[in-house]
Amino acid sequence: MKNKLFLAIATVAVAALMASCAKVPQEALDAAKAALDSAKTVQTDVYFPAEFAALNDSLTVMLQNIETQKSKSAKDFKAIKVAAEGISLKAAELTGNVEAKKAEVKAEAETMMAGAKTALDEAKALLLKAPKGKEGKAVVEEMKNELTVIETSLTDAQTLFDGGTNYVQVVDKVKAATESINGIVGELKAAMDKAGIKY
Amino acid sequence: MKKGSLTNIIVYAIVAIVLTVTGIIVFRAMVPEPPQPEVELARAAIARARDLESEVYSPKLFREAKNNYDSAMAAWRTQNERFILVRDYERVIYFSDLAVKKAEAAAKNTIARSKSLKNNLESEMSRLNREMSLFEKIFLSMPLPQDMKKKHARGKLLIKEAEIDFQKEKYVDGNVKITEANEYISGTYNLARKNLEEYFKNYPDWQDWAEETIAESKKTNSYAILVEKIPPVLHLYQGGKKKYTFEAEFGSNWLGDKKSRGDMATPEGKYLVTKKLSGGSTKYHKALMINYPNKTDVQEFNERIRNGQLPADASIGDLIEIHGDGGKGGNWTQGCVALKNSDMDMLFKYVSKGTPVTIIGSTLTLEEFFSSREK
Repeated sequence: MKNKLFLAIATVAVAALMASCAKVPQEALDAAKAALDSAKTVQTDVYFPAEFAALNDSLTVMLQNIETQKSKSAKDFKAIKVAAEGISLKAAELTGNVEAKKAEVKAEAETMMAGAKTALDEAKALLLKAPKGKEGKAVVEEMKNELTVIETSLTDAQTLFDGGTNYVQVVDKVKAATESINGIVGELKAAMDKAGIKY
Repeated sequence: MKKGSLTNIIVYAIVAIVLTVTGIIVFRAMVPEPPQPEVELARAAIARARDLESEVYSPKLFREAKNNYDSAMAAWRTQNERFILVRDYERVIYFSDLAVKKAEAAAKNTIARSKSLKNNLESEMSRLNREMSLFEKIFLSMPLPQDMKKKHARGKLLIKEAEIDFQKEKYVDGNVKITEANEYISGTYNLARKNLEEYFKNYPDWQDWAEETIAESKKTNSYAILVEKIPPVLHLYQGGKKKYTFEAEFGSNWLGDKKSRGDMATPEGKYLVTKKLSGGSTKYHKALMINYPNKTDVQEFNERIRNGQLPADASIGDLIEIHGDGGKGGNWTQGCVALKNSDMDMLFKYVSKGTPVTIIGSTLTLEEFFSSREK
């Protein structure tokens, strides 16, 4: 009888000890989630998509590890706390880098827009001197139409730029416009060279 | 302490230790294994699908995979709240397996879809570039509505934007743009082609007029003028044989017959030179006035007034000439035929009052015209 009582007490004591020996590092976990939310708010997912996805993945792994530890009789959350702190740090670092990256892409967009406008003015000026040989007038009219459409596209890009939501999109849009303008300028210069017109 | 008591204590202690260790072993053995491997497999499968951009290419399957993963995690959390020995991870494993299947399907579908979108984008860009170039070769000089030309230009820019998406491997965005470009490029091309097909329905008349004019020139061994709008040329025939061909320019709305004053169209039909003008009597270097409107033109004009195609106060117009000051590279006259001054000088030498002037759309059939432009 004494033996049975002793065994029961020992078992309960061990079980209680094991169940209560560790707790989820909730504070670190909440901080990591908050850091990731902040990172998304400043568009880390737009400017550092791979890094942001990797961090999200780290958070998923961490949440998984928490449940793994909770499923065990002997729990250990030390590594999870370290991981959560690491995520917070990395997210904060990325958040800090976004502004610099945004500024970089914004500057690139600005430079490209200025370049596109200069090219557009050059194309317009060349159009005035363009040779009007066989079907030349029709070609000039077509180019004028194209430049009008490109100008509208550049205005759209400017609106997108002013909105500041996604400078990467602005860069892509302006790139297409610039390539189109350069194509027209190239055609005009080739036609003018052929006709012996100086530009 | 008695020797017997000490022995008892030692025995009890050993028994207690053995029982405790046994208890721990038994307890641990009774704790169910956490479903970590299954859940990890699901997470890894989703991460792979995400890296392949399944969110973009297979959004439904990817969403389903994620939802199943979330369900697995929720079921795991629920089980972890129960007493450790009675936990059951069956649903966790079930949802994890489902998540793996969906994520793998998403990845597979993504690979196939991105490949198909890439191929489609590539072939559409190539097709539309060809169609765009064909449009420019065939229709650029035609009097199409400004709106149509603007749409064509918009389509052209969209192709360029799609090309940039292609370079960046953004095939979904690229396909959206190329679809829009197709509406503009193919839309304008088809509409312009339809207009031209409508115009070429007059081809049998043009053929008759041209043959009659050349036959008459041969029969009377005299000069005759045949003007073609497509391609824009003026032929001078002598004794039924082509003597000279000059480039010509027409009214800005030249595709079609002249219907009334101010429509900027060049008339089509059989005419005669009525007057030769030079020096101060014309502002276009030299000119050959023709008898527009002729009898047929007047009949057609009256018919159009009667059936309401023209307003009652419309007038038929006059003073159509073949004149100089051409070579401007476009169709700029108000309905006359313009030649370069040097060509006009040449023509003026051979033509006299009464010389037949036949103006037609083309001596080429529509198919011949297209194949000549497609080369």
